[in-house]
Amino acid sequence: MDLNKIENLLELYFEGETSLKQEAQLQEYFTSDEVAPHLVEYVPIFSAFAKAKETGFNRTLELPETKRSYKWIPVAASILLCVGLFLTYNQKQGSENDLGTYKDPEVAALKTKQALFMMGNFMNKSTGQLEKLETFEETANQIKK
Amino acid sequence: MNQNEFLAKVTPVQDRLYRLAKRLLVSEDEAQDATQEVLIKLWSNRKKIKKLRSVEAFAVTMTKNYCYDKLKAKSSSNLQLVHTNYEDQHYNTVKTSENSDSVNWVLKLMKDLPEQQRLVLHMRDVEQFTNSEIAQELDLNETAVRVTLSRARKTIREQLLKKHNYGLK
Repeated sequence: MDLNKIENLLELYFEGETSLKQEAQLQEYFTSDEVAPHLVEYVPIFSAFAKAKETGFNRTLELPETKRSYKWIPVAASILLCVGLFLTYNQKQGSENDLGTYKDPEVAALKTKQALFMMGNFMNKSTGQLEKLETFEETANQIKK
Repeated sequence: MNQNEFLAKVTPVQDRLYRLAKRLLVSEDEAQDATQEVLIKLWSNRKKIKKLRSVEAFAVTMTKNYCYDKLKAKSSSNLQLVHTNYEDQHYNTVKTSENSDSVNWVLKLMKDLPEQQRLVLHMRDVEQFTNSEIAQELDLNETAVRVTLSRARKTIREQLLKKHNYGLK
């Protein structure tokens, strides 16, 4: 490359006025074997940049396992709780309205009869037990006489 | 984004991040640590970086801030920077030519530059960022970047020539 041009570029380089492309030209010139003797002292600068570029990151990267995020669990739990509470509350309300009545009068009458019979049966059973008391009374009267 | 997609996105950038960290922290080990930290941070933020236009700019900013934090923590806790892997100059001169010795000298000169100049010079001359990218990254205007760059380059030149002429004048 034209020596004049290189000298010019070098001057611009130290003023910080060169473009990246021009700097690449300088880099190329100064790392080649044909550097003019009076410019040799600039070689180390450009060689240093080239050398600095050679090193790199040489560790194998171990990426930590990604933890599953549990941040939605509490939200889901609270929603479930709300739904549960709402349902049980509703059920209670339902049981208050449901008095166990029958809409059809015939069925109602039958059921009432059934219930009354059942009660009658219980009464009879228990009064049956009372009859035994009468025998006690009879014996007691005999002794008194 | 799964692990492979992430690595595909990050692998082209990681060497750059490492070199940037090394320029700021000097120690190779610390730079590797810093790069690893930044990459893992990127991984845990992968949902966010999916939306970004340039992962690289974001990663560079993260690395820069991480290194500044490290440096600040160090200076406040009175810890010395330990250059465990500082190249031994005596050992080097024996087996390498004078030229590569001056190369190491230039690298050392870069380390001695003020932080801002070091960063600008590195981003421009090693990583070939454009001035506007550097300006954005460092929150400067482009003129300031150019001036800083010129100052850094001139300092390197002066110091280098001083060493070359040492003993001659």
